[in-house]
Amino acid sequence: MQEVKNQVMNWLSQFRHSTVRTTAKDRMRSMLTHDRLELPAGRLECLEEELMCVVNRYFELDKTTTRFDLEQEPDRKASLIANFPLLRSKC
Amino acid sequence: MTGRVIVVTSGKGGVGKTTASANLGVALAATGASVGLVDMDIGLRNLDILMGLENRVVYNLVDVIEDRCKLRQALVKDKRHPNLCLLPAAQTRDKNAVTSDQMRELCEEMKKIFDFVIVDSPAGIETGFQNAIAGADEAVIVTTPEMSAVRDADRIIGLLEARKDQIEQYRLVLNRYRPAMVQANDMMSIDDVLEILSVKLLGVVPEDEDIIISTNKGEPVSGTDNTRSGLAFRNIARRLRGEDVPLMDLEVKSNTWINRLVNFFAPVKA
Ligand SMILES: Nc1ncnc2c1ncn2[C@@H]1O[C@H](COP(=O)(O)OP(=O)(O)O)[C@@H](O)[C@H]1O
Ligand SMILES: [Mg+2]
Repeated sequence: MQEVKNQVMNWLSQFRHSTVRTTAKDRMRSMLTHDRLELPAGRLECLEEELMCVVNRYFELDKTTTRFDLEQEPDRKASLIANFPLLRSKC
Repeated sequence: MTGRVIVVTSGKGGVGKTTASANLGVALAATGASVGLVDMDIGLRNLDILMGLENRVVYNLVDVIEDRCKLRQALVKDKRHPNLCLLPAAQTRDKNAVTSDQMRELCEEMKKIFDFVIVDSPAGIETGFQNAIAGADEAVIVTTPEMSAVRDADRIIGLLEARKDQIEQYRLVLNRYRPAMVQANDMMSIDDVLEILSVKLLGVVPEDEDIIISTNKGEPVSGTDNTRSGLAFRNIARRLRGEDVPLMDLEVKSNTWINRLVNFFAPVKA
């Protein structure tokens, strides 16, 4: 039941404008993910650039729609979500 | 007798640790348990004021540790609550007057006398915090729903996680909760905070002017009927005793489901 409710709320939230509350929550989540990993500002961007360079040697990328983010996981863990849409192979 | 040592901690100052310690002390004592309150905020003594016991302090925690008096001599009995005692902090010393080992020993002694030993801790994550948690079996983390307080609470959770073998569990008290602001989407909700911190909830205490009044009178709100915050603290005390008590109704009444739906889709405020 809780599961269904969460899914409905998640689905509904795409129609929602951002509020002070959601802004606070998003900032909070990102801040804590960085804190827990002891990740200095700018490190993630640095990694993204390097990775992108490597992938770019093999593929042409659609750089307008890439996604590179940390996501909160249960148990105070985080995971790295990278999504580099590919246009074509370079060789 | 072997009591439970519960440390009340937060990281950030001014979020309500001392208020929570005093109120949980009174509320637990009212359930019939014997309670020893320990003020570990050495140098910034406060708990005696909130308890209205400031004129009865003779010896303090540092006197006990440095053998100037027996533990029993330093304990201040609260006349209004016969099974409640306070071990005051020293006002003129600093945090380095005590070591973690000494604190652990003191907690062992207290556990022999009381069902519950509630340790009020100083702000910060340095020596004072380390000493305060040294003898604890369990922790209550106090935070408000504000970003800086939540961030510091997360830091504390990380430090407590690292001592899992000693501190069996920790739970969150969300203090100074303002339901109307949450309903207007101007503040994080209970669920928001719990989700972000991934921590178990022990209770929610609303923002309440009665807390300030009660501090001025030297009588914690949990000893007074008809206060919202007092009820919240009494519920928390019952949960600490293992009872399953539902959260009190915090919703602002004029808010119908239609209002809530409107709020849910509310546009950004300037
Ligand atoms: N629920 C509440 N509603 C209103 N005021 C509160 C509440 N909780 C705490 N306060 C006030 O906040 C201030 C700080 O509380 P205190 O317990 O001394 O914090 P800490 O011990 O964490 O530094 C005090 O003035 C207290 O009266
Ligand atoms: Mg305090």
